[in-house]
Amino acid sequence: MSAQQGNSGNRIKKLCIYALLASVCIIFSFIESLIPTALIAPGVKLGISNCVALMLVCFNDCKGAVFVNCTRIIISALLFGSPFSFLFSFSAGIISLFFSILLKKLEKTGILGISITGAVIHNIVQLAVAVFLTGKGVIFYSPILIASGIISGAGIGILCKILTDNKNLNSVFNQKEN
Amino acid sequence: MKMVKKGDIIVIIVSLVLLVLCIGFCLLIKKDGIYVVIKEDNKTVYSGSLFKDDTIKLKHNTVKIKNGQAYMLCADCKNQICVNTGKISNSGETIVCLPNKVIVEIE
Repeated sequence: MSAQQGNSGNRIKKLCIYALLASVCIIFSFIESLIPTALIAPGVKLGISNCVALMLVCFNDCKGAVFVNCTRIIISALLFGSPFSFLFSFSAGIISLFFSILLKKLEKTGILGISITGAVIHNIVQLAVAVFLTGKGVIFYSPILIASGIISGAGIGILCKILTDNKNLNSVFNQKEN
Repeated sequence: MKMVKKGDIIVIIVSLVLLVLCIGFCLLIKKDGIYVVIKEDNKTVYSGSLFKDDTIKLKHNTVKIKNGQAYMLCADCKNQICVNTGKISNSGETIVCLPNKVIVEIE
């Protein structure tokens, strides 16, 4: 443990990094909302912004991941969403993040596995909320949603692997851990 | 650190199995999951699968279900709007005959 002053400096630094990451997430959410994916199926998304939370999970900073994810969901729902989209993304985001952290703690899987699990569970929870809100008809989307979860999860996992291998990022996060 | 761990492969396999199960489930319920409901005077007079060919004779109308499509074969009303609606097959589509108070709906 460092001294009192160093500790508070560390906390401020942490706060800054989280704020920065949350804003990066929101920009990604905005870019995503511009890409029309409705051609495939409504609700299919790339989920680039999830990459940030995943990266934090991989750096063993689960608190930070939860904080950044919640901030992202609340702010992006306020900016581009509706109460319904907030309900969708909040429930899905929290539950998928929980499973991602669980898998990370088990240490049986690499980033790819964590990412795919997160993406697939995210889509399943969204579908469950959709069934609850609109009825059973949406259950026909389940194959598309799971398939897109696997594909985008794999893509985001690879992206996240590149990020976590980056030396500069590593030095920032490992310094923060100490 | 290796790129792919053993757990990753397990995750991918589990996801793929889930995908196959979902496709199977959807195909299973899609086959007889779509019903044709016919209402006359606000009372349901017929409810059956869209994939079972049938001809239903009502008081003033005749509804035919064939090859996964439902249509009004004939009606004794003046405007014949219901007959001209054509064939319906998708969930939520309806044929309405206002003069005879008949509604054919796919559910």
